[in-house]
Amino acid sequence: MTGLFPGFLILSAAMFSVGAVGVLVRRNPLVVFMSIELMLNAANLALITYARYTHTMAGQVFALIVIAVAASEVVVGLALITGVYRSGHKLNLDELSEMSE
Amino acid sequence: MTVIFGIAAVLAFGGALGVVLSQRTLYSALSLVLNMVSLAVLFLLLDAQFVAAVQIIVYAGAVMVLFVFIIALLSPGAEERVRPLELRMLFGGVLAAVFTVVIGRLALNGITVTNNGHFHGALGPFSPSLVDAHGQVQTLGEQLFTTYLLPFEVTSLLLLVAAVGAVYLSKHRRVSS
Repeated sequence: MTGLFPGFLILSAAMFSVGAVGVLVRRNPLVVFMSIELMLNAANLALITYARYTHTMAGQVFALIVIAVAASEVVVGLALITGVYRSGHKLNLDELSEMSE
Repeated sequence: MTVIFGIAAVLAFGGALGVVLSQRTLYSALSLVLNMVSLAVLFLLLDAQFVAAVQIIVYAGAVMVLFVFIIALLSPGAEERVRPLELRMLFGGVLAAVFTVVIGRLALNGITVTNNGHFHGALGPFSPSLVDAHGQVQTLGEQLFTTYLLPFEVTSLLLLVAAVGAVYLSKHRRVSS
């Protein structure tokens, strides 16, 4: 095991944590979506780190698939946000939770 | 390599903090671009050239253009004031630190790596020198279209569903309003 392996994993863990806290703390749905992207990116970093240091290819393949999943998630999510905005609601997740009632 | 890793890691983490802490949504988006470009540099350090290129093209290109376009369209600028010393931000900071320590410890102890710093089990066949000799993209492509063909096809189905869903959502709202 070479020296930088723990560094990559700690960076990945830190980015994932910041993204998770962003999802929990922020109220703007666009920022929440960006935080989800952050978490997916952190997972990608961990996948590629393991692929490199265990000499396998699966991590890189699944990193590509995660990128595709993230792209489709952004497309559908932004379509939803635009729809909510056009139906006259404010872009605030605390107020949008009243829609479920 | 260590110096490049240090610079890219600091930039990536700073971008991540910028996404969560920025007052304006557009600054969050720009911080996310910084984060993604730094991650592409880290992918290059990890001998994943193709994924680094895809990261730049798909994420920093397509996805972020979509984000910035929607931000400009909806202009949700200063709706939300984030004060870094607010109670929930402090709580979030503590939570992030705890998460980082817990995930870091789990990842570095026990699951894949023994306490001596060696991996459980044997290393795979794709050593960096072999991948370099065969070609990085060739190796990745062969794996993607043979061993991992089923996940690849499922992903294509997912992309189709996402495209149809986005078209349906935007059409539906326009008719109803």
